[in-house]
Amino acid sequence: MVLLQRPHILLLLIGTHQFLQCWIAFGSVNEEGQKQAEFSEELLLKPLPDHKLLAHFHFQSSGPPSTSNGCHHHLFPKAISQLVQKFRIKEMELSFTKGRWNYESWGGFDPLSSSNAKPPGVELWAVFDVPQHHIDASWKNLTHTLSGLFCASINFLESTATYSTPEWSFPPASGNVRYGTLPCEAVCTENLTPWLKLLPCRDKAGIALLLDRPSLYRGFYHSQQLHLTSTGSSSEGIDSGIILEQTLTVVLQPNSEMAIEVHASEKHIQPSWSLSSIFGKQVSGRCVLAKPSSVYLLLDRGLSAANGLTSENFWSNPSFELSANPDRIFLEESSSHSKSLSILYMFQVEKYCESEPFDIGLMWKVPVAWLCQQTPLHASRFLMGSGNERAAIAISLKSTQFTEGFMSANSKDGSCELRVDVFQVVPWYVKVYFHSLRVFVDQQPRAVSDIIEKIHVSPSKDKMSPGVMEVVLKLPCRVNTAALTIEFDKGFLRIDEYLPDANQGFDIPSAIISFPNFHASMVFLEDDSLNKSPLLSKFQEKCPVMSYTEVLLVPLTTPDFSMPYNVITITCTVFALYFGSVLNVLQRSVAEEERFLKAKAAKKTGRLPLLLSKLSAKLRGRRLEPLHSPPSSSSFINSKLVLKVILVAGLAVGWQYFFS
Amino acid sequence: METFINPKSLFHLLLLPCLLLYSSIAYNSSPVEAAMHTNNWAVLVCTSRFWFNYRHMANTLSLYRTVKRLGIPDERIILMLADDMACNTRNKYPAQVFNNENHRLNLYGDNVEVDYRGYEVTVENFLRVLTGRHETAVPRSKRLLSDEGSHILLYMTGHGGDEFLKFQDSEELQSHDLADAVKQMKEKHRFKELLIMVDTCQAATLFNQSPGVLAIGSSMKGENSYSHHLDSDVGVSVVDRFTYYTLAFFERLNIYDNASLSSLFSSYNPSLLMSTAYYRKDLYKRRLEEVPVTNFFGSVMETIHTDAAYKALSRRNSGRFEDEMSLDQSVHHIKRRMLIKVNDGDEIHDINPELLQGEEGASKCPWSTFRKKFQKAENVDSLLNYGLVAMIPLLVISTWLVQ
Repeated sequence: MVLLQRPHILLLLIGTHQFLQCWIAFGSVNEEGQKQAEFSEELLLKPLPDHKLLAHFHFQSSGPPSTSNGCHHHLFPKAISQLVQKFRIKEMELSFTKGRWNYESWGGFDPLSSSNAKPPGVELWAVFDVPQHHIDASWKNLTHTLSGLFCASINFLESTATYSTPEWSFPPASGNVRYGTLPCEAVCTENLTPWLKLLPCRDKAGIALLLDRPSLYRGFYHSQQLHLTSTGSSSEGIDSGIILEQTLTVVLQPNSEMAIEVHASEKHIQPSWSLSSIFGKQVSGRCVLAKPSSVYLLLDRGLSAANGLTSENFWSNPSFELSANPDRIFLEESSSHSKSLSILYMFQVEKYCESEPFDIGLMWKVPVAWLCQQTPLHASRFLMGSGNERAAIAISLKSTQFTEGFMSANSKDGSCELRVDVFQVVPWYVKVYFHSLRVFVDQQPRAVSDIIEKIHVSPSKDKMSPGVMEVVLKLPCRVNTAALTIEFDKGFLRIDEYLPDANQGFDIPSAIISFPNFHASMVFLEDDSLNKSPLLSKFQEKCPVMSYTEVLLVPLTTPDFSMPYNVITITCTVFALYFGSVLNVLQRSVAEEERFLKAKAAKKTGRLPLLLSKLSAKLRGRRLEPLHSPPSSSSFINSKLVLKVILVAGLAVGWQYFFS
Repeated sequence: METFINPKSLFHLLLLPCLLLYSSIAYNSSPVEAAMHTNNWAVLVCTSRFWFNYRHMANTLSLYRTVKRLGIPDERIILMLADDMACNTRNKYPAQVFNNENHRLNLYGDNVEVDYRGYEVTVENFLRVLTGRHETAVPRSKRLLSDEGSHILLYMTGHGGDEFLKFQDSEELQSHDLADAVKQMKEKHRFKELLIMVDTCQAATLFNQSPGVLAIGSSMKGENSYSHHLDSDVGVSVVDRFTYYTLAFFERLNIYDNASLSSLFSSYNPSLLMSTAYYRKDLYKRRLEEVPVTNFFGSVMETIHTDAAYKALSRRNSGRFEDEMSLDQSVHHIKRRMLIKVNDGDEIHDINPELLQGEEGASKCPWSTFRKKFQKAENVDSLLNYGLVAMIPLLVISTWLVQ
């Protein structure tokens, strides 16, 4: 009895102790007043040259170090901090993307595109802070947890055949990184909803109110990301907290209703838009928990140059009209390789409320055409060859107008070089022959050792690990085109390894092409009074220019899935026929059989049906048929029955006639 | 020694009343928990891939919406969708799924939680969910964490046939697999009551072998289940007949309604369904007229009102308490049922008499048994033969009399 009671008291004591500890810890943080959880919401709008509009939502919450705040989470989502603590994640990025980023017209050389253009489907990479031999287990558990958290089948990345360990070409270069993609994963509302639930105001207030699902998913490109950085959670216990960045990038077509009204002569004019026309909603005030809550309109370098905007006259812009007055205008710091400057208009959402919701519109007055800044080389990837046996992957790099301008400016002497990193993962059933790697520069085959400075290859193992190829290319600056080709065999899968829609083909994940010598950054001149905007400070970071190639669809030989059944059926039939007839021949003794039949016939003579049938046979003038053959048909009205009835009736008539 | 013992015994004496109270609570509460209905779960499965099977996803999402509306929270719903229809490139209405051509209701909504989707919807995962045999890494949201007091609704839709249901056009769930899973669930005390609802062709064959559960299927053996109507904007059929009429029944209800399961079962009209909804209740203990639909399709928790804190315990310790618990549901509950009986009356009268006769009446009436035997094809010939033989003596007698 006492024993029954005591654990409860003990538990109660422990519980109160824990609670007190947490409470004390939380209190101390409050006193400290520095490591508070912070949250910011920002939206950046950017007109694109091909009559589209880019909307980039950026939510950032920073959680204080776990040691100081204990188990309390004020703003920071608890699920994420538990995830970080449990799997000891240093850095992680998860992206859900639908559609393909159009590098040619949407640009590739600004911070926005190099960090938000993602391969289709799901991409996940994570850097762990655990011993080397625990990484794979952590990765497996992480994929399962994320799949539960974001309603996606990320858990397919758990098997070693789907993820890889990039050695040095992947930007967060470290031995503890794991990288995996699922190119054919669907992205829809069920992925966005849990992502939104991580925000303190969800989609009930603030900028996230704009996220109307049908208008988002109607877009051309949609990428939803979650980036986690846990700073300094090293073994010493120094922990300065977690930063969670949630970004959503959509490329939308502004409603063309207004464009229809425009005369045919002015059809090149950019469509005018407003927030309410794109999203069907307006922002009614900020999320009260968000510290900076602001909307930006970005005119990139090309556009401001086309408008003739310079640092002197940007206040009086002739070509478009804004429906709301910007609170602040930022100019980009002049950079070395571009004369024109980006302009950023800032709107503060704090000023608006329910009765006066925030809605920004842009009305174009004159047609404007411009180009976005492109990557040094435009990368694309395609399949070569035909048939179901062999094929080749080709990655082609083409110079863009940017390279020409930049190279002519920078290369005084002819010996300048352009470094390109290629990171390519292929699934195991695409059996790549790495010796067949060939390099073409300006359509001329070149020796591999001339162009490739460094190469790291880990061949695939069947059903165990994918093939990984990391290459560093040194191309001459004046290169027009460069191409890499590599041949492969198409492997065979077991019948149960094919996906339900195997006839569609199998996806090869995007290759990552990065240009480590180039850094995309946008530094805006800001005065000190400006409160720190996480979005703008992110733009200032130097991030290497990256681009993803297309996903390839490789048709593999698919078996006829009914084949096993056919084989089984035919084999069984053959066996049955063979053994049946052989047994029959071996066991049959003719004399015995005849004797048996006779005996059987003799036994049956006394029975009335036999008599009747004999009679009928005689009446019909035929030979006697054995009656014991089973009746072929069993319906009520068949010829045999009718015959029988007629027979009986005839018999009765005959009887009557004979006796009368 | 004595001085040491005395305070201890005193302590014991003081502790005794507390312990008595505690043990009495413990004694009474543990069987209560074992028998009481604790929570509601729903496992909703759409097994068909490809765009032209849009209606199966719409079926499942309609049921998802219904059970959510009737109070089952998202964490107790396991939703399995074999394909992505909402953001399918063929879908003219992105992020929206409709089950009616009037497009009044977007089933996908803003807050849908899909637990298993795409290639994850396999027979293996389905059976794992039912039996609870998961890998340790599988998150809680993907598990069926039901207990011995749980009422579970298992809804499945897809393409099926005699004793099987196809998963993604590549695998099959056979009726004995399902029966085995249900048996395992029973053994592991994973449910108190289970309703299996199946909308496929020949659905009745799927749960032929599952013991101890209430089951309803959209069609009998040899019958097809048909889609209800085509939406020319979406371009495919958007809902199946059985589910459509199930929803029609539920749309009238809210969480406080007490419509009974039998009124649901009798609401299916075979001529509208173009198939015969078959339900199997022989192994279900309670009378269907007394079981509200929210028993499975909603989450209505019984609340016990107490005037003050801890009063309920003393009241429960009284003699009436035992009687109360001997019934499956509390007296409180039954009283409420009596009250609504008046409202329910007209619904119960609506029960289709043919349906009832098909189930029970057959064995009671001797004429029908004779007719049944008579109709058996293999007996016909022998019967005729005997008839003919019997005619001969008649003939003889009649001629003898004439003479």
